[in-house]
Amino acid sequence: MKRICLLIATSVLIVSGCGSSGSTNSPTTTGSASASGSSGGHVNITLWHGYTDVEGTAIRALATQFNATPPNITVTPQFYGNSDYALQKVLAAIAGGKPPDISYLYGSWAANIATNPTTVNLAPYIQKDPSWNWNDFWLAARNVTTVNGKIIGVPALIDNLALVYNKKLFAKAGIPLPTPNWTWTDFENAALKLTDPSKKQFGWAYVNDASEDTVWRFWAMLWQAGGSILSPDGKQAAFNSAAGLKAMTLLQTLAKHNAIYLDDGSDVYPGVFNSGHIGMLWTGPWDLSQITGHQPYGVTILPGDQNHQTISGPDNWVVFNNGSARVNAAVTFLKWFTSPAIDLKWATMTGDLPLRASVAKLPGYNAFVQKYPGIGEWAANLANATQSRPVTTTYPKISTVVGQAVQSVLLGKADPQQALSQAAQQVNGILSAPS
Amino acid sequence: MTTRAEVTQAADYRRPSLWQRIIASEHLAGWAFVAPAVILIAVFAIIPIGWSLLLSFQANNLLAPGHYIGLANYKALSKDPQFRAAVGHTIVYTVIFVPVSVLGALGLAVALNRKLHGIRFYRLAVFIPLVTSTVATGIVFLWLLDPTFGLVNYALHALGLPQQGFLQDPNQALYCIVVMTVWGWLGFDVIVYLAALQGIPQDLLEASEIDGASKWATFRSVVLPLLGPATLFLVVWSTINALQLFDEIYVTTRGGPLGATTVIVYYLYEQAFQFFNAGYGAAIAYVLFVGILIITLFQLWVGRKRVYYTS
Repeated sequence: MKRICLLIATSVLIVSGCGSSGSTNSPTTTGSASASGSSGGHVNITLWHGYTDVEGTAIRALATQFNATPPNITVTPQFYGNSDYALQKVLAAIAGGKPPDISYLYGSWAANIATNPTTVNLAPYIQKDPSWNWNDFWLAARNVTTVNGKIIGVPALIDNLALVYNKKLFAKAGIPLPTPNWTWTDFENAALKLTDPSKKQFGWAYVNDASEDTVWRFWAMLWQAGGSILSPDGKQAAFNSAAGLKAMTLLQTLAKHNAIYLDDGSDVYPGVFNSGHIGMLWTGPWDLSQITGHQPYGVTILPGDQNHQTISGPDNWVVFNNGSARVNAAVTFLKWFTSPAIDLKWATMTGDLPLRASVAKLPGYNAFVQKYPGIGEWAANLANATQSRPVTTTYPKISTVVGQAVQSVLLGKADPQQALSQAAQQVNGILSAPS
Repeated sequence: MTTRAEVTQAADYRRPSLWQRIIASEHLAGWAFVAPAVILIAVFAIIPIGWSLLLSFQANNLLAPGHYIGLANYKALSKDPQFRAAVGHTIVYTVIFVPVSVLGALGLAVALNRKLHGIRFYRLAVFIPLVTSTVATGIVFLWLLDPTFGLVNYALHALGLPQQGFLQDPNQALYCIVVMTVWGWLGFDVIVYLAALQGIPQDLLEASEIDGASKWATFRSVVLPLLGPATLFLVVWSTINALQLFDEIYVTTRGGPLGATTVIVYYLYEQAFQFFNAGYGAAIAYVLFVGILIITLFQLWVGRKRVYYTS
């Protein structure tokens, strides 16, 4: 308990420390805001984010740029600390009656956030204004903003899983490099050939902490094999299928041959990959900065069975209701901020993937791809993110059940069919329980 | 200082108003002095304790307004197999952790309670794990116990012993957590025992020596009973700590693998902050609270009969 207190105390210190360093940049914006605050029609709004480093600089730069343009709105970005804890802070602010106008919140919270009366449904704003060009946002990102017909946010971040491979290990094992046409069989054979227990070398790595990190890789495999997570009406588990069995069996086969480095969730695998002990990773652009400069690596789309689908984990900008003037201002800002030209600017500054498909057609796109080697493959792979996880309040529970199932197969404690049947039964129980 | 005499004098002339009496009262000064602490405790302890009791009778996700559901959370809890498993893990952990850490600390304290060359160094070495942050401890143990690249498996391999899964093996993880937490908390128990050992009156030890008692007999019949209050304190305190185990699990296994280290407080955290069942989480907290209360009262009752206090 003492340690919890210490932990809280330290995190408070860190947050307040970062907060004050972040706010050193804001006097100009607050200054101009208060100066023009009296001129009628000027609206001040706050935006909460967890960006640091390059992204922190970028959000402040773009807010300054926006504030300098005509529409009489001043956006003040405020750093709220690690995004993992954003929900608790936003909840506290809502309870205190002063929610931020805009907050960055994880996509996995979307269904629960939709239950809060302060959350603004953006659907009317987007429907009456075709210049949003809403369908230009990647499908996977749009799916996560939409809860029961309401649009509770604007896409803030999108990523996906692609295949990253160590070229040197492939050459040593005498295997041709992965291609976009690779099948599961190619992948399995390569993983087995790249495995050498005497050298502590593994063909593949898998995050095995039973968290969502474990689960979403399995969903990608399930979709590739033609399966789905839930039945179309969302009332039954559907992953206990031939496709699910095929995916689990692939995991079992590779685990049995020690071809998978099992990461305990403490994010060790990039280091192991960098030291040349892992042949292939299924990972996203967030690992790019960690793995650059150690091993010669390549990036391609995931291997396929029925298709080459990937999975995406989008996050949202959520708008909270502080009166219609401020809601309108927040919507105006978000529309500008996620417009193709500004989105490309953001991507080029930060290395995040573009949120819109049309960004790839802009003249500056090549410069972005060249600035971050490998990012082009991830950006193109967004076209393969055609399905999303169910956006429901029960998803966190479903994820936990499936995480345990995948983990039990990876650890050799259950066979694929047994694990799937048991998980499906539990998920059906969760879905039928009154909420 | 304002005295009652002055107030009574004033009363001869005119009965003071309620406000004047309040201002003049000694109680006011007293309350003024303790107010900062009382307010802090009320805001950060008493109100949350009361509020979480209310929460435990609600279906509440902390996002939308909750609604009253009576004892439904507690009823669901009594039938929840995962909660039962969490209670089981917590009991196994506590039953190993408490005796091992208290007895281990007793041995170490006796060993350190001597005039040795460099004794300060040894005492420091025992105490350092306690002041090391749990996060650092957790990461160090994760690395040491890593099944593939960890030092411990490397040593086992060098000795020709089979490789172990440790924190990644559902059958071993909880015991690894015991080792890790005993290592982390032993320093505190040792300090308490050392202080108690040094508080034992020298004349009692001399008397038993004169009576011809052996070293073991002295330890058993003189030292150990005099350490009674310290032992009782450590057992109670370690038990409460063990039942509330959370940080170490959060930093290392996150309740896994396969739920093998999901203890009560971790399960509570999962329910309240990952599944958005804050009401259910509050009910778990209250069940744990009552459990701890009963166990502690039992320990104190046993202690009262068996612990010998000296002034």
